[in-house]
Order: sequence, then structure tokens, then C-alpha cells
Amino acid sequence: MTAASTGHMAADRTIEGHAITMRGITKRFPGVVALDDVSLEVRRGELHAICGENGAGKSTLMKILSGVYQPDAGTLEIHGQPARFTGTRDAERAGVAIIHQELNLVEDLSVAANVFLGRERRGWAGLIDDATMEAETARLLDMLECHVSPRAAAGGLRVGDQQLVEIAKALSLDASIVVMDEPTSALTEAESARLERTIHRLRDCGTTILYISHKMDEVFRLADRITVLRDGRHVRTVERTATTPTEITGWMVGREIAGHSFHEPRPRGAQLLEVRGLTLPWPEHPRGYRLADVSLDLHAGEIVGVAGLMGAGRTELLETIFGASPPTWTGEIRLDGRPVRFMHPREACAAGIAMVTEDRKRLGLFPDLDVAGNVSLCSLDKATRGGFVSRKREETLVAGPIRDTGVKTPGPHAAITGLSGGNQQKCIIGRWLLTEPRILLLDDPTRGIDVGAKAELYALIDRLCRQGMGVILTSSELPELLTLSDRILVLAEGRLTAAFARADATEHRILEAATASTLVRATRSPVMGGML
Amino acid sequence: MAASAPRSSGGFLLRRSEWALLAAIVVAVVLTAIIDANHSYWFQPLASLRDIARSTAMLGIFALGAAVVIIAGGIDLSAGSMIALSTTVCASTMLALAPTEMVGFKPVGGAVVTAGCLASLLAGFLVGTLHTWLITAVRLPPFIATLATLVGLRSLARAIATSTTAALLPTKNSQINVYDPMFKFVRDNVWIPVAVFGLLAFVTWLLLTRTVLGRHVHALGGNEQAARLAGIRTDNVKWFAYCYAAMTAALAGLFYVANESVAAPANQARGHELNAIAAAVVGGCSLSGGVGTVPGTVLGTIFLRVVIDAVSKVIKTEAEIYEGLIVGVVVVLAVTFSQVGHLAKGGRRLLPGALGLCAIPTLAILAGGVVAMTASPRAGLAAGLAALGLLGALRVWEGRQAAPVRTA
Repeated sequence: MTAASTGHMAADRTIEGHAITMRGITKRFPGVVALDDVSLEVRRGELHAICGENGAGKSTLMKILSGVYQPDAGTLEIHGQPARFTGTRDAERAGVAIIHQELNLVEDLSVAANVFLGRERRGWAGLIDDATMEAETARLLDMLECHVSPRAAAGGLRVGDQQLVEIAKALSLDASIVVMDEPTSALTEAESARLERTIHRLRDCGTTILYISHKMDEVFRLADRITVLRDGRHVRTVERTATTPTEITGWMVGREIAGHSFHEPRPRGAQLLEVRGLTLPWPEHPRGYRLADVSLDLHAGEIVGVAGLMGAGRTELLETIFGASPPTWTGEIRLDGRPVRFMHPREACAAGIAMVTEDRKRLGLFPDLDVAGNVSLCSLDKATRGGFVSRKREETLVAGPIRDTGVKTPGPHAAITGLSGGNQQKCIIGRWLLTEPRILLLDDPTRGIDVGAKAELYALIDRLCRQGMGVILTSSELPELLTLSDRILVLAEGRLTAAFARADATEHRILEAATASTLVRATRSPVMGGML
Repeated sequence: MAASAPRSSGGFLLRRSEWALLAAIVVAVVLTAIIDANHSYWFQPLASLRDIARSTAMLGIFALGAAVVIIAGGIDLSAGSMIALSTTVCASTMLALAPTEMVGFKPVGGAVVTAGCLASLLAGFLVGTLHTWLITAVRLPPFIATLATLVGLRSLARAIATSTTAALLPTKNSQINVYDPMFKFVRDNVWIPVAVFGLLAFVTWLLLTRTVLGRHVHALGGNEQAARLAGIRTDNVKWFAYCYAAMTAALAGLFYVANESVAAPANQARGHELNAIAAAVVGGCSLSGGVGTVPGTVLGTIFLRVVIDAVSKVIKTEAEIYEGLIVGVVVVLAVTFSQVGHLAKGGRRLLPGALGLCAIPTLAILAGGVVAMTASPRAGLAAGLAALGLLGALRVWEGRQAAPVRTA
């Protein structure tokens, strides 16, 4: 596409014309309208930030732009040319490269092979020319301040380096438009700073950048213009200089959620759970452990929040308590003062522990079972008569938790896949409430759930806690932890780095603790790179 | 939906796709009755029914087992070899317990027959256990584990037949004849395998839709990791599923002994595991697990056997040569039709790009060749050209549909 190269060569930051024009883009999924008549214009050479809560439609919009999804209605123009992408290859050809939130690297291939995947350079007799690709990759990585070997296996890199490999891939495409989907969500501060320098460099070359983030400080440091999406709709697009972070946040949330008054002191009961010196080995990893020397206490009527970046060991901690990890851990877990060692989630379940898993779709939901089947799954024994499941008893059984958790469903036999994310999550919580647990482990329970449903889930969790349940909650969103928790523990690379009482916890202090040990590693890594 | 609400996905009693399958069966029967030059469905309805009923029951018994494994998210490729092992174990046990009667074509007695049958079922349980152990403890993919036993069990059965006959008879033999009147009785009374099949289908249906274990089978197939994290002992559910598959194959093996009066492990039921899997898939079981019903599997089995029977009626000579071809075509067509909506919605094309260009002559040659061999060369040429024309038209139409630019 000729227009693409013009955009790329431009020295001036923002020049005439639009790099991207979207008109009336609509995308529906079963049960949800992910995007509703969204129109958006992105100027050539600008850095355009897209802000919005989870589920606002940011990622869907980017996937349409990069050809992963096709819109149900609306048009898309790239550099003034109508475009209809049926795959990422189409988008790449038109000069659009996307760096996905979940990285798309083939872990077993080398860095260079990943950068040139699908566009391998050929040499003599059409054979793959590794030398050229490696040299080219090395040049690109050098430009990005990424000190890894082009021959290293992509899967062995740190997340920050993997992200830069993705960016190198975009650069090798000569893309005139680069889309970044929450690129710093898993990066340390040093890595984020490095990424920002890269972004500045790209922009100086005239590349149009779409930057998706809900981190206000980043957005206000980088963006030329900001677009806010909410519930799949375009709220507004403004110049950065004409707005403030508070204003943007207000548009993102839309309504002020009635001040969470969950901080009325909850009566704290007897100690339920005591974890001492928990260590979970990780033999195939250079660090050697997933968890090291983690201790925590949980009382009835208490919510303990666990903060940490991706890969810090939050999920592993909950899974080890729940008996879902390999039973190779050392240390001590005491339930009601008695040492326990669950070999299977079933045993933990019988002992009164329930766990709502992190990734609802992958680890929680049974798409082929209906709503009732999903809710009753763990306690189906209670709905049997003479060894056979009674339909009527099952309906009676699930009616309770469906009502208590406030699931909105056409009926107990509706398809679970037709419900919204929030209602699916309520079904899964309802499933565990049926097992009458005393300890509830919630692993990032509101991920991908809209604001309203979140507030309902907070109220539910608070209510359960007041009824005497002990809750351990992890979340990738700090405000959530600050809203709900009585105490907050911080994990960084498998170690506990801080424990705050609610009164002492601030987002800043938690983040500091969450990146504490990683910063030490990050400063050390260039030295290690040099030694290689 | 499958487990807790069998009626929820459209249709009364059966699902919509199952009604369609039932209609297809009726159409196949009517067409055969008309096209068949002897009109045997018309003139000998009872004999025809008996043939189809027997073959359906024999296939259906272990197709139900295959369906359970598939719904649980696994696959069992070893059913044919399991049948061979079952026939051999049954016959060898009887030979060991009553050698003189077996050799002298005399009745061996109820106790010996019972022992033989129980030994076969026990062998099924052991094979199912072996599968589960290979899959859950050794962590082999189900495909590999049952591929190994597909090859291994038949060989084992042949070894057992040879060494039993060598030890107990004057000359060693690769097969063991079974002349007991009880087996003859089963052979001559088609209602017995049909009743066993019906009963087994009912039990399997009850198990899958009305028990906790059945729900867990669906959950395991639908999302194994989630099932484990929901506290389901997935290894035990797998153990059940693979034993159910192996034991239904063992049960089917007993009817093979009755039907053929011999345990001949070298070739008995060779390749039949694929028919069972095909029946389950035609009946709506998804190989990705979690989806499938017993009524669907029963109808899939009937459909498969009706079509095979139809071919043998229409093609007079050496019809069995075409059996595999027919099964293949039926599977492709049945699964394609169940996905038609899916294909149209996703904007996917049947004949895209260079692959589509090469697929057109491939399909035309296949169609023309089959018609040429079964009917006449001239008809074959016509069929091939017709296929070429139709597919070419489809390709052009698809090309028009996927115009590069869409305007709002």
C-alpha cells in the first residue's frame, strides 16, 4: 500500500489526513454487544490512547483493526483506503501491526524465527536464511535496547523482553500503524521506561501508535489525543492538553459507583487457616521456585488480599492451599490448627475450602453444561434420589445460589455461554457456595467483568464475609484489593515482600512492594546479558 | 446442556439434529427399497430387518462405549482388537475348561460358557485399566495409548490362540472353533443381541443423563482442567470411561463368537473400531469432548448400517469392498451438514485459493471413479463431469460472495 510508506517516511509528527478511520463499527458476541456503533479517527503520526474499563471494548476494537475479528457492521479505512481484513496477514500487508496483551510468540522457536514467522527470508535454493534473519533481528533488538540473543528460545525470555520481541516483529513489518494493547501490564518499572523510550523513537519516525491502557500516568505522559470507550460505546475523543486524568476516569466509569462502604469493621472470628514457610519448587525454571517461604493467617469474617504482578505466584499460592498444585511443596498449612496436605481439590472441598479460579473460560466454565449444570456440579450428590439425578431436585438446589448471588438468567436450563461474564462468574461462585465452604479463595474474580457487576460482586463478597466466611482474594486491580481487603499481602516473584493493614495500604506502597525484588533483578540483567 | 437438559437444544424428545438423522434413515431405507433391482426391502422385509438389526446391534454395543469415551474427551482406537482379544479369551477359557467337548463339537455346559464370557469381560476391564494407566499415570495422549493397544492386543490375541491350541490340542491352530448350542442359539435369535443393545443403550443413557458420574463425564470432556479444579477426580472418571469402552467391546466380542462360531483373532473385527467412532460422530458426538447423546449414537449406528446395507443391496457384487468408502463419505457428509450454519456464518469458504482449485478435480475424480466402477464407465464420466461443473460453479459463487470491499 503506497499510502502506508508515505505515513512511515513522514518526518513531521502529525501530518494531514487520517491513518485510521472507523465508522459505525459494531461487533456482537452471543449475549453481549462488544462494540456498539463506534466511530473513531486517528491522525497520521499521532499517539492515540484508548482508555476504558475492562470490557469497555478496547481489545475487541483492536482485534477488528488487526483482522482477528470481522465487524458485524461498519467500515474501516486505513490511510483513506477502505479495508476489510479477513486475517492478521491482511492487516499486516496494509501496514497495521498489533502487539497483543497476551503475547503471540511460538515459545520453542528462536527470537529471530519468531520475528520473521510466516515471512521467513529465503536464501540459496529457497532454503531458510537464518544468518540474515538473525542479523536483522539483532539490529532491531539493539535499537530497542533489548539485550537478548536472536538465537535464544522465545519462551525462555522474561515477559518484558518478549514484549520487545513483538515490537521488533512490528518494526520488521515496516508497519505504519502499531497497536499496543496494555503493553506495560506485566512490566517492571525499568522495562516500562525502556518501552516508553522505544515508543518515543517510533513516533519520531512518523509511526502512528494506538496505545491501549488504563494507567492514567502513562497515558498522560505519552498520548497526543485520548479516546474513552465505555460499555462498547465511544464516549469522546479529546486532546491530552485539554483534559485531566480525573475527567478521563470519570468518563471511563460513567457513573460514580455508590461509595463502597465495605469498610465498616467486620467482626473477626476464630483463626481458620495458617500457612507457614510455604515453598513450592519450580525445577525447570532458573529461579527454582514458584513460591518461597510464604506465610499467612486467615480468620473467619476476614478478607485477606494478595497483590502481585503477573507471575508473582498469586495463583500458585491459592492452588497450593486448594490442593491443585503438584504436592511437592514444603512448609506447613494448618486448617483449624490441624496440619493438612490436600492431594486433590476434592479433599480441600470436603474440608470446607472453595476456590473460584482465575481464568473463568479456561478453568471455571463448562460450556456444554447449562446454567443449572454449572452451578450444581460440585454438589450434585445432594440432588439425587436413589442414585439418580432428579431434575426437579437439581432445579430446587440451584435456585438458592442463583437467587443469592443475583444471577440474571432466563432460567436454570439456559446456556451458560449466553450469560454475560459477570453472571457467569456469579454462577461459579454459586457453585462453590453450594458446597458450604468456610474458606473462599477468589483468584482475580472480577477480571473481564463490567463495572456494575463488579459492584454487585463486591457486595456479595462482603456479605459472605459478614456471615463468617474467610476470604483470600487476589486481584490484578489494586483499587479492588483496597476496597475489599482487611489486610493486603504483596507477592513479588514468589516471595512475600510486604504486608499492610488496610489503613496503611496505598496503591503506591503496594506497587513498590510488588516490584521490589524484580527491580533488583532488572538492574542486574544487563550485566548477565553482557556475560552471555 | 447435554447432560442436564436433553430437550433444551431444540426439538421434542430428540434434538433437532437427531430428528434429521432419523429422517435420513427413513429416506435411505425408502430409496434402497426403490432403487434395489430385487426390491428385497419390499418382498422380504423380515429378512432384511433381521440383517440390519443384527449388524446394528453388534456395532451399536461398542459404539456406545466409544461414545462414552468421546464424550469424556478421549478416544479409544482399540475396540476392534479388543473384540479379537475378547473372542479369543472366551474361546480359550472354554477350551481350557472343557477341551474334549470343544474338540468333539459337544455342548460344554452353562458353567463353562459363563466362565468364558466372564473371562472376556474381565479382559475388557483389564484393558480399560491399562488404557487409563497409560493415559493418566504415564501421561500418554489417548490417541497414542490406544493406538499401541490397537496394534498390540490383536497380536496378543493371536499369541493366546496359538499357544492355547498348542498346549491343549494335538495341533496348534490360529483360531478356535466354538460349536456350543448356546452360541448357536444366540446366532439364530437376532432379538438377543438387539435386546442386549437396547438394554445397554438404556443403561448408558441413564448413566450419562441421570447420574452424578454421567455429569462428571460431560464435565471432564467439556473442560478437563476446570473439572479437576471443581474437585472432580478426573482420573477416576477416565478409568470408568475407558473400562466402559473396553468392556462393551468385550461384550460385542461374545456376539462375534456366536455369529461366526469361531474365535479368529487374525482378522475378526479388524477396523471395526473406526465404524464405532464414526457411528458416534455421525450421531453428534464431538471429538473435542463434552458433547454427545445416547439417542444420537444409536441413530448414528442405525444410519451407518442402513447405508452400508443399502450399498450391498444396490451393488450386487463384492459390495463389502465399498463399505469403507461409504463409511468415510457418510462421516464427512454428516459432520459437514451439522456445521453448515457454522460455515455460512463465519464467512468461511469451502473451496478457498489454490487448495480449493486442487480439491475440485480431486473430488470430481473420486465421484466419477466410484460411479464408473459401480455402474458403468459412461455414467462415471458423466458423474465426474457433473461434479466438476457443480464444484466449479460453487467456487465462482464463493469468489463473488467474498468480494474484497464491503460498503456499509
